[in-house]
Amino acid sequence: MNKAYIFFLLGFIFSSSVFAASSSVELKPVFIDLGNKASLQRGAQIFFNNCSGCHTLQYHRYSKFVDDLSISEAMVKSNLILTTQKGGEPTKLGSTITNSINHDSIKEAFGVVPPDLTLTARSRGPEWIYTFLTSFYEDNSRPMGVNNILYPNVNMPHVLWYKEGLKTYDENNQLILKVNGQLSQKEYEQEITDLVNFLTYVSEPAQLERYSIGLWVMIFLVFFAFITYLLKIEYWRDIK
Amino acid sequence: MSKFVTWIDQRLPVSKFVRNHLSEYYAPKNFNFFYFFGSLALFVFILQIITGIFLTINYKPDAASAFASVEYIMRDVEWGWLIRYMHSTGASFFFIIIYLHMLRALMYGSYKKPRELLWLFGMFIFVLLMAEAFMGYLLPWGQMSYWGAQVIISLFGAIPFIGESLALWIRGDYVISDATLNRFFAFHVIALPLLLFAVIYLHIAALHTVGSNNPDGVEIKANKNPDGTPVDGIPFHPYYTVKDIFGLAVFLTIFMFVVFFMPEFGGFFLEKDNFVPADPLKTPEHIVPVWYFTPFYAILRAIPDKLGGVIAMGLAIFVLFLMPWIDRCKVKSIRYRSSTYKILLASFVISFIGLGYIGMQAPTPILTALGRAFTLIYFAFFVVLYFTSKNEKTKPVPERVTMHE
Repeated sequence: MNKAYIFFLLGFIFSSSVFAASSSVELKPVFIDLGNKASLQRGAQIFFNNCSGCHTLQYHRYSKFVDDLSISEAMVKSNLILTTQKGGEPTKLGSTITNSINHDSIKEAFGVVPPDLTLTARSRGPEWIYTFLTSFYEDNSRPMGVNNILYPNVNMPHVLWYKEGLKTYDENNQLILKVNGQLSQKEYEQEITDLVNFLTYVSEPAQLERYSIGLWVMIFLVFFAFITYLLKIEYWRDIK
Repeated sequence: MSKFVTWIDQRLPVSKFVRNHLSEYYAPKNFNFFYFFGSLALFVFILQIITGIFLTINYKPDAASAFASVEYIMRDVEWGWLIRYMHSTGASFFFIIIYLHMLRALMYGSYKKPRELLWLFGMFIFVLLMAEAFMGYLLPWGQMSYWGAQVIISLFGAIPFIGESLALWIRGDYVISDATLNRFFAFHVIALPLLLFAVIYLHIAALHTVGSNNPDGVEIKANKNPDGTPVDGIPFHPYYTVKDIFGLAVFLTIFMFVVFFMPEFGGFFLEKDNFVPADPLKTPEHIVPVWYFTPFYAILRAIPDKLGGVIAMGLAIFVLFLMPWIDRCKVKSIRYRSSTYKILLASFVISFIGLGYIGMQAPTPILTALGRAFTLIYFAFFVVLYFTSKNEKTKPVPERVTMHE
């Protein structure tokens, strides 16, 4: 650790505005509704069918979906658990959500190890994920043939292109749909909303209960404060 | 029952203790809003200890598993999320309470004779609390935990001659690492809480020796009833126990609202980047300490020279220790002091809040200039006070405390 290093560190603090300015894409709003179980279930379906091959939810457990998302144990086992354990038997319900990608080979293929997504909705925010997944466009200079407005030169391919279709810039620098996908623009946005909703739930499952419990705690505490106020008044009556 | 109490009292003076410190401990009857924060600070200290014990049961002080163990607490431990949010929110509220508690002392001159030691113990608690919070913040092992600690500890390297070795000695490694995490854990869960407990004990012991100051700055012991009790004093129990329970209920309402409905508090209490595991190879775009450190951090950044910045930051805290000797005015309460003091204190508070804001922002030329101005005001408060307080034009202080309802 020498002086240069400290200057380097401090340099980061002082120059951070330069970095912050580099990603100034406006995030699109997304409607998060964790009370909408159907949306969360659809989001889980989209995640496990399209994302789980590369991305893990390593701090979350399959078993949580049974109570939290009202998906039956049998359904979780047959539709969401797509991996096996070392011996070949299916991954257990109580396991955390990992996959079997080989870090070395996936790094060779994509340049990076796909990040774990358990907490992405907390670290980057739901709006960021939503904007990211709706910002792919055709770019033949990139290895995967696509680029991203929000995250320029991202290494991830546009996995959901078969749903969205492929957008490209026309001669007027406007984004247009070049290839149609299975879904209309609106349907695609709805699917991404469901997926983001699901990832928001995964980032903090406690959100499902903390608002409703919090309400009761608030009612109790306001009542308690009122009672203690009356008690205080009663005791202090003779103090002048 | 009374036989039992007598049996106990012959062996341990419990009744005497209750009389001395509660039922016959006299406190001024004119306490206002600012006098809730002492008992609230004690409450939050105990809350942090209790929630901390439950967190420690499931937390793993190991660089490889610390982050995951916190997520384990958040997901798999029954009510773990509630305990964790109470602890993280408690840390921030501890500082809100302590800052208001200190402001109270500045407003009513509570550090003045005979309460100098009381103030010094309080300042030691404040410094210990900052160390406690700083080390606790490393434990979740997120990006901001890691890089915040990296930046702050590397500041020690600015000290001439011994700096580098000192930083190395604190970290136990050349960078923040597993070794650092382990020792910070040891300090956070046992060494500093024990020290805090001891100094809080001394703080309260000193308080109960000299008695509380009050918003009028009148010594209630100077005016006694024939039976020797202060005319303007009332027994702490039941009067202030019921009042403090009411204060606690209001506090808990606000506190639990944050815990349940906004535990991140817009990134102030839990920073977004701390939901990304620590990565020694990836520096976050914007390293910011938690809000309660930002006033001092802004002072550090205000000085263009690194060593100068570190010295200024240390001085900003140290100078507070000297308050009983800087403020030479005999009148305690701001109610009877000159407008000079009122303006000085107001500008000090504004500069402190301003510095807190600037410390959170990425620096711009305007903010840096503003940060320097506020730093100047911060220190000017003490200098100007030293020279103006001796012959300050004060208003007459009443003989007895006044009641405002």
